[in-house]
Amino acid sequence: MWEPETRPSLMVRLRAPQDQQAWTEFVSIYQPLILRVMRGRGLQEADAQDVAQQVVLVVTKAVERWQPDGKEASFRRWLFSIAHRLALRFIQRGYPKSGVGGTDMLNLLDSLPDSPSDVSDEFNDEYRNEVFRWAADRVRGEFRETTWQAFWRTCVLNESIADVADLLGMSTGSIYVARSRIIARLRVIVEQFEADHGT
Amino acid sequence: MTPCNRPQLQRLLDESLPEKAERDLAEHLAACPDCQSALESLAGEKQWWAEASTRLGKSSARPPSSSRSTGHSSAELEATGRSNALSEDDDAFHFARDFAVDFLDPSDNSGMLGRLGEYEIVDVIGRGGMGIVLKGYQKELNRFVAVKVLAPHLATSGAARRRFAREAQATAAIVHPHVMAIHSVQPDVKLPYLVMPFVGCESLQERLDRNGPLDVKDILRIGMQTALGLAAAHSQGLVHRDVKPANILLETSVDRVLLTDFGLARAVDDATLTRTGVIAGTPQYMSPEQANGDPVDHRSDLFSLGGVFYAMCTGRPPFRAETTFGVLRRIREASPRPIREINPDIPEWLERIVIRLLAKDATDRIDSAEKVAILMEGCLAHLQQPTSPLPTQLDQWAPRPTVHAIDSPRLSPRLTMTMWLRLVIGAGGLGLLILLVFNLRDPRPRVVPAPSQSAQTSENRPEVGTENVPKGNLQAGNSPLDWNSLDIELQGVDQALESMESNSQDIWGPATP
Repeated sequence: MWEPETRPSLMVRLRAPQDQQAWTEFVSIYQPLILRVMRGRGLQEADAQDVAQQVVLVVTKAVERWQPDGKEASFRRWLFSIAHRLALRFIQRGYPKSGVGGTDMLNLLDSLPDSPSDVSDEFNDEYRNEVFRWAADRVRGEFRETTWQAFWRTCVLNESIADVADLLGMSTGSIYVARSRIIARLRVIVEQFEADHGT
Repeated sequence: MTPCNRPQLQRLLDESLPEKAERDLAEHLAACPDCQSALESLAGEKQWWAEASTRLGKSSARPPSSSRSTGHSSAELEATGRSNALSEDDDAFHFARDFAVDFLDPSDNSGMLGRLGEYEIVDVIGRGGMGIVLKGYQKELNRFVAVKVLAPHLATSGAARRRFAREAQATAAIVHPHVMAIHSVQPDVKLPYLVMPFVGCESLQERLDRNGPLDVKDILRIGMQTALGLAAAHSQGLVHRDVKPANILLETSVDRVLLTDFGLARAVDDATLTRTGVIAGTPQYMSPEQANGDPVDHRSDLFSLGGVFYAMCTGRPPFRAETTFGVLRRIREASPRPIREINPDIPEWLERIVIRLLAKDATDRIDSAEKVAILMEGCLAHLQQPTSPLPTQLDQWAPRPTVHAIDSPRLSPRLTMTMWLRLVIGAGGLGLLILLVFNLRDPRPRVVPAPSQSAQTSENRPEVGTENVPKGNLQAGNSPLDWNSLDIELQGVDQALESMESNSQDIWGPATP
């Protein structure tokens, strides 16, 4: 499991574990998401990486200025909300090639559309794909590799249950069990994520 | 075929059915379409299944801008079987694989992925947090090799590269039947790599995923060979730092252990810890000192070895949690769930050994890999010849050391009460003694806190009836013993017995385990 880049100072700033977790999830989801979208638009690898890093950097600076106001899920929702809008803005309208300074950043954040309903459907769709991928990464670690393979091959790759049973040396019945457990677990994680972010 | 049992389906999903019921239900499912649909609806609506299938298929598709096609989608490659392989999956891999494919030179042979120096690269056979393993063909020598490339996001750090080179070279110097050989190291190229023999094998992790917990005999044998490999490295001053089932390869057909990925973990630490302050890779087998970022020595490997034993006994790692943070916290603070609770087939003495290796404080662990190997050998001998005793080292560890027949006035006076109890009760095993004393003092079985061990305790299970207990001074309420002193006394007894035993072998009869 590759942990995303994180400045130690940020980790110190975000003292509550759920905030740290929110941050880790943000990077785990947005960095690959932006990479994929930018590659999909024909950007060179290095440039795509650049955009992804810029988003993280700008958000990092925003976080460093963020004041906790005591409400439970507020950091997480705030974080994902500005991340979403910022990412979309970078993708739609270009992004600053060089680093973003303090006042620039404030201006940038101010210029973001207020309501998430402005965001494009395509980006939202990609975003949801990314959430599923992130959930899959988490769930995978909770199961044996063969269980995971049973699920992945039959549900995602659409291989036949009989073939997969042969390949993995599992019984047909246990493949039904494996798939259902993983699907159930995925549902719990994605639904929890939705509840946490109001997406 | 057993009849449908709908209420069980939810419990099956929650993994709360006992093993046999689960197996039976799985068998039923294979032949009952109604139950199949019922189970699937419990897991999620049809819409959900469809969405998951579509989105997961999409989200792992190769991005369109990549310059070379391998003919496999990443979703398919994720499902590929492996050998010489590592088991972690992550986003860096997708990137790394593309990058590796991108950075290989083109090959003359169209069936190959590319060229790397003198090797024709046939395929990607595995990946981990630290690197990618490729299957290569060395034309000059007409043999297959495994080429391990350091992950790109680590290879940019000069310090990591130098470390990688140093460690690889140090490892190459270990020639041992249980350590994977290294043919050569190429540290100075854009992406450093090392070359190993291509060995048909599966990792211990794959074996556990496939078959679940192992037989005791296999556990001892694999544990012994791993310990021997570690001992060879430790004697050369090398600490492995990443001992885990994925790094323990089992050569097929001979089932020989080959320890791999030595010292490479240190290259990883350098690149990732200093730069980001966050640990890379799943730390499930890390020692508490590693988790704390404290200096590490060979005893850290022994903790990890304990974790490997735990996995062999139960099929899963000792410390699990949903996040890396969570795992590290448990490593530092929590006791793993008792092995025998998960797998009652594991003998109590083996559990004791594992607990000993998993001691949070390094000074409480068995202090050398060599000792572990010798211990394993002794235990294997005991398994094969049940009348021969278990190694006496096991006796030193509370709570239930082995009892020897006793008959000597040389023991110090403060031990006499305990001895007398034993004489009276006979050599039925100390567990019996504790149990009987429990029964006499208090009808409910009580738990004795194990000294300097984990916070978890286990209830003693009745082994025999109480018909051996003579009446008389052992009436309830008359016993002068209290729990703490009993423990200490028993430990004292056994230490004394040990020293006596080593002095005069022929006085004692055979020990009863």
